[in-house]
Amino acid sequence: MVEGSPGARSGKRPGRFLVPLPAGGFGAGESMIQVRQLAKHYFDLRLGRIEALRGISFDAYAGEIFGLLGANGAGKTTTLRILATLLQPSGGTATVGGYDVVRQPALVRRQIGYVSANTGVYDRMTAREMVEHFGRLYGLEQRVLCRRIDELFERLQMREIAELPGAKMSTGMKQKVSIARALVHDPPVLIFDEATVGLDVVVARSLLQIIGTLRESGKCIVFSTHIMREVERLCDRVGIIHHGRLLALGTLEELKRHYGHEDLEDLFYHLVAESGSGAARHEGELPAPEQASSLARSEAERPCDSV
Amino acid sequence: MRFRLNWRNVWLIWQREVRDQFRDRRMLFLIFVLPLLLYPLMGATFLQLAQFVQETPTTVLVLGRKHLPPEPPLFDLRQRTFHPQWFDRPEDAPLLRVQFLEDTVPVRRLDSRTLEQLVRRRLRTGQVQAALVFSPGGNADSGAEATAPARRFPRPQLLYYSAKRGSQVAHRRLWAVLRNYRTGVVRHYFRQNGLSERLLEPFQLNEQDLADQPLRQAAVWSAVFPFMLLIWGLTGAFYPAIDLCAGEKERGTLETLLCSPARRSEIVWGKLLTVMLFSVLTVVLNLASVALTGAVVVAQVPEAVRGIGPPPPAAVFWVLLALLPVAALFSALCLALAAFARSSKEGQYYLMPLFLVALPLVILPMSPGVELSLGNSLIPVSGIVLLLRAAIEGDYAQAARYVLPVVFVTGVCVWLAVRWAVDQFNRETVLFREGERLQLGLWLRHLLRDRDQTPSVAAALLCAVLILLLKFFLGLSVSLRQASVPVMIVTVQLVAVLLPAGLMTVLFTSSPRKTLLLQLPRPAAVPMAVLLAVVLHPVVVAVAQVVETLYPLSPEMKQAARALLEQVPGGPRRLLLLALLPAVCEELAFRGFILSGLRHMGHRRLAIVLCAVLFGMIHAVVQQAIVAALVGVVLGYITVRSRSLLVPVLFHATHNALSLSHEQLAQLWQRLGGPQWLLRTAAEGELEFTAPVVLVSGLLAAAVLWWWRSQPVEPTPEEELLEALAHQEEPASAPA
Repeated sequence: MVEGSPGARSGKRPGRFLVPLPAGGFGAGESMIQVRQLAKHYFDLRLGRIEALRGISFDAYAGEIFGLLGANGAGKTTTLRILATLLQPSGGTATVGGYDVVRQPALVRRQIGYVSANTGVYDRMTAREMVEHFGRLYGLEQRVLCRRIDELFERLQMREIAELPGAKMSTGMKQKVSIARALVHDPPVLIFDEATVGLDVVVARSLLQIIGTLRESGKCIVFSTHIMREVERLCDRVGIIHHGRLLALGTLEELKRHYGHEDLEDLFYHLVAESGSGAARHEGELPAPEQASSLARSEAERPCDSV
Repeated sequence: MRFRLNWRNVWLIWQREVRDQFRDRRMLFLIFVLPLLLYPLMGATFLQLAQFVQETPTTVLVLGRKHLPPEPPLFDLRQRTFHPQWFDRPEDAPLLRVQFLEDTVPVRRLDSRTLEQLVRRRLRTGQVQAALVFSPGGNADSGAEATAPARRFPRPQLLYYSAKRGSQVAHRRLWAVLRNYRTGVVRHYFRQNGLSERLLEPFQLNEQDLADQPLRQAAVWSAVFPFMLLIWGLTGAFYPAIDLCAGEKERGTLETLLCSPARRSEIVWGKLLTVMLFSVLTVVLNLASVALTGAVVVAQVPEAVRGIGPPPPAAVFWVLLALLPVAALFSALCLALAAFARSSKEGQYYLMPLFLVALPLVILPMSPGVELSLGNSLIPVSGIVLLLRAAIEGDYAQAARYVLPVVFVTGVCVWLAVRWAVDQFNRETVLFREGERLQLGLWLRHLLRDRDQTPSVAAALLCAVLILLLKFFLGLSVSLRQASVPVMIVTVQLVAVLLPAGLMTVLFTSSPRKTLLLQLPRPAAVPMAVLLAVVLHPVVVAVAQVVETLYPLSPEMKQAARALLEQVPGGPRRLLLLALLPAVCEELAFRGFILSGLRHMGHRRLAIVLCAVLFGMIHAVVQQAIVAALVGVVLGYITVRSRSLLVPVLFHATHNALSLSHEQLAQLWQRLGGPQWLLRTAAEGELEFTAPVVLVSGLLAAAVLWWWRSQPVEPTPEEELLEALAHQEEPASAPA
């Protein structure tokens, strides 16, 4: 396990800045997540072969929040599901904590905590029961587990809902339970897949604060979103993904400086436009400008989301 | 490192699932409350209904009473019923009322045609439930030898309306009354003529049931219990399975669980044991409820359920013992099917097909004449039912003989079902299936547009189904047209077998060469294929004989098969039609297209076996199908090892040619004066291999197969992946 890699925000790890990305990828040995030429295709009865990922490569390090920014359908969830061993890649490799996601999925799952917008909570279990159940699956001793649950419930302000069954929880409460469940075994890698979708402003802000504090404890956090402000406020490094391709990768400052756009939204529009029609996966899919406008809409829906 | 199951995880998942299910009120109602309410309610309803139906009187319209002799009296004119002496139970007499047409209609003024119409109208409208018309004159059928009274006796005619339930009841009652009346009339004539009535009954039948009461009861329960066991075992497994798989998908919790350190196999085992528990509970509670209701019914109306008592304790024990494998089998099947469903609603659609498959296997052992034998014990589910029946009836010696085959077959089925369920949980296409509606047109277009080098599993299965259907209908149509046998063989092989496989290869694959393995094998593979066919032949013949002993072929079928073969011309044309043509066509279809597609499942051995089973199914006769499926396994194995279709074609052709040449080989052996203890000529000129020959052939075949085992296999990407997963490192070595 690689621990304590300094965050990019501290300036010790320069962000990479690659358009197009090199086929060889990066050579850093201490990264927690290594993704190399990751590809994924699947078949849709109506649309045919869909190239969800077309060979993306990136690294994510301990103590940093790596943001995957892209419109709906860009390939963010597919990437994160592959990292969480839920999907098998069609090509390329991905390792988490040094373990291969295809050949050592059981080991990878011990390294990660996965939270997504869809992550469900069992209706007929209380928050405490659910977190406890997963803690046991991770092999934690009862004494350690109880202490850990108390600690997490305190930290996430979940004491009031500890004995509430899932069916009676609000979306925000459920998301907190999901986070507690993902953190119970203290994994070195945390994967948040559009975790703020469907949350109200207050809960979303609280969630982002929690994620921010997790970085301080040295976790490697991969955070996918289509909301630009979340990226600007939270992420140390950003990968902009569009139509299954990683268009840009680096710290926000590096990206803005390189492309000459001060605004992340302008930068995103610029990259999407530059990727052009060649990036279109299929003729039946939405054209790039529409994707871009969907992003703009999503942004407009969340007027206040500072961390 | 080899994969191992972490039972602690299985236990944790089982605990959670069971707790979750016990908190679900719908499930509790279905599993616990429903059976406890259902049978008492059914029992009460049955008692009410039975009483109602039994006590409903029916009316018979009688015409021509005056033609009847006064003695013995058929009717009780005072009560307007038939005379009680003609009823088996005289107290039933009021249930069959009599209405004389003469009392209501001026019969004398009406002609016979009008009267007939009147009777028919009353029957149709339900005013009466049956009619009895006595015509004057002698009995037309009595003949010259009939006695004078018989000739004089009016001709009765019974009219009823079978489309009405009441009329059916009246008919049954009336028929019993008339039968007794007929005997009474004969007795009366005997008395009149001074003959002894004992002539009517030259002997008295003295019957005695040697089975004691518990065994008689057991016989009744042996029919009821297995049926309930299977139906409730299946139903009890299905709803929890849906909730545990499709329900998890709906609630979005499946992703959470799949991210946990529990392996997919551990998740499946945890869920499987939960489903099993509920299946077992459903059966036990239903049986208990039936037993209780039955006891109450027996106590209330003992005459209605004569001969049935409470189930013997031994029967209950055997049912509980059989419950475990049955519950395991159905739970694994339900779990695999439910894993495929996207929602609980969709999951419920799969219940009916599963019932349709399971029901014939449950009903088969209940057919008269089906007894526990080695052959029947090898049929999944049916074997359990037959074994259970024998055990409940106390026939332990018979049951003990077939315990092993039943346990073996059930064990294999459970293992396969569990493997299938685990496999479903390893497939992202199943777990993350989109909510897209399956449309055949879209799917075919997808196969056409997104074709891979080799066909998909679905395309392979579609091809097999097409071949089965075409072969069935084409064979039927050709034989109905009375075409010659050679024409029939050529048509079936080219149109039913080759055409679908060929068309699908062209349409749905981008590399016919790779799909149909159209490449030359290593030079040594060619003689080894022929050699294997030769040395394996005596073993196959011996297996075929065993199969025929287990499932005997009717003489008519044997005769028909022989007659068909006799119509095929002899010499090289016979070899061409029955050896080479099937070898080429069937191998292109099965070991070519279908096996290539099935290998995308990721399980090489399973693909070979499944392909062999499908290959067996195209053989019309069951006995032939079993042998063909076994040979199909060898064919699939050497195909995978050789990567060339020429190898199975050569094996297949050689095997068929040898089967066709038994007569000639026997003659040759006789001419050469070969010892009879090696090769014998059986009846009808058939060649019979003796035990030493079969044994030596088996050993030689094993040696040749060992050589084949050394040949390299080219794994598909799916096979590589599953192999890698099976050999992944143990999580125990993970950092804490």
